[in-house]
Amino acid sequence: MADPSAPRSPFAPWDRRELPGLFTVEESARRVGHYAWIEMRLFEALGGWVATVPELDVKTTLGRHCYHHAWHAELWHKRLPELREMRPDRLIRAPNAHLEAFVAALTEPEAPDLTIEKLVGVFRVLLPRKIAAYSYHLAATSRITDAPTIRSLGFILDDEQTDWQEGEMLLQALIETDEEVARAARRQSELEVLITRAGGIAGPGSLGPSSTSSGPTSSGPTSQTVGAAS
Amino acid sequence: MRKSFPAEDLARDGRFRRARTEDRFEDPRNEFLPPGRRAGKLTPDRSDAAHAARQLMHGIFVGEIQALEGAGRTVWDFDDDEAPFALKLDMARQCWDEARHTEMSVKLGEWMGTEVGEFAETAFLYQAACNPDPVLRLTGVNRALEGLAIDVFNTMREFGEACSDPVLSFCEDWMLADEVTHVKMGSDWLRRLTENDPERRERALEFQRVVDKLFSFRGFRGEADDSPIQLARTFRRMAGFGDTEIDTIAADAEAGSDPEGWRAPVG
Repeated sequence: MADPSAPRSPFAPWDRRELPGLFTVEESARRVGHYAWIEMRLFEALGGWVATVPELDVKTTLGRHCYHHAWHAELWHKRLPELREMRPDRLIRAPNAHLEAFVAALTEPEAPDLTIEKLVGVFRVLLPRKIAAYSYHLAATSRITDAPTIRSLGFILDDEQTDWQEGEMLLQALIETDEEVARAARRQSELEVLITRAGGIAGPGSLGPSSTSSGPTSSGPTSQTVGAAS
Repeated sequence: MRKSFPAEDLARDGRFRRARTEDRFEDPRNEFLPPGRRAGKLTPDRSDAAHAARQLMHGIFVGEIQALEGAGRTVWDFDDDEAPFALKLDMARQCWDEARHTEMSVKLGEWMGTEVGEFAETAFLYQAACNPDPVLRLTGVNRALEGLAIDVFNTMREFGEACSDPVLSFCEDWMLADEVTHVKMGSDWLRRLTENDPERRERALEFQRVVDKLFSFRGFRGEADDSPIQLARTFRRMAGFGDTEIDTIAADAEAGSDPEGWRAPVG
């Protein structure tokens, strides 16, 4: 065993996390507020749709996924006060009117013969956009200063990817004819237009630097230098 | 998608058969007959035990689907100013629980020899989840309906033990744990949302009383020896019911067991 009195860095030799990140506290809070908003709209829609779909496997899947997104919304709600936002409702909103229009269109189908349209909106349009925005956040934010957000993103992305796969498999099982392929493609195209106008679930900059993001660049100090200095 | 979704529009595949509640309750083959005409407590020594258990399991299955749909609609139907975010989180959790119960009961049904659609479905459970006031809806569903579920699952669990069926008793015990949680959620939200509104609380409790009477099915659920579903006092206490409240349910069930006293809850 090593000499217990010998000085050691707080970072294990294999720990390559670095201090810099693209997001300030305010930018991280802004994004988290938009994440909470879209998770809330999604779990509400999935809950509402349960009664409208005749397919038993879809019905139980929507019930299960409804809770997943509710839990994600809860994680984001809890994170906001930790990001100095003491009135979370101020930030829990759509990034722009385009995303509100997207959600209105997403949740519009009700008839029992529109299961394909409901699932395409969630699993071929919204979930890929969520996974993209969350993955960008995970890659861009400081792995040390914003670690609590990263921890939540890890849990949430795990759910999102599993649910995306499950939803896509349901769709492939439901789409059997040329006409159903065309219906799915039409629906995806309509909704893609709307979410593209919105710029993604966090608005323009969902997948890249936005005009509001700032913070230290990659030339800032690293954990290694901090560790060495101590 | 509309806010508020009527029971007659509940989406089902081609195997399901919808029946009017009156017809279902008057069907001479079923369990909801008045005292003297029904077979009594569900025990393995009853000559029709296998059929009665399959019928009850099918009823649990469609009841779970409707409970899933009801919880889902509560998530969707109310705006944030009508139902707090935390309440919606609880209802979303309940959606997941009811989805699991649907999966468990369809597998148990297969295990017991029935299949989807063998028995008709009535929508009176979902109708309790259509109240436009979220407090009344929560009270009707999470205290009355889920309270009934406690009684049903405990009866089925005991039936599984009496039959030496470990799969049945194992699954019912798990579902029973969830139902106790759901009733506690209902009790908690009733208290929180009506803290400063005793009149609304009284209306909610009265609504629960009405639903509880309907769910007693003229003694089908009660403490009489011939009640197929026995009131599960211990688990109800665990879920937050007071003894006075349980006594009232028992007394209402006994009073409602008058053969002429039953009225169909819905058309």
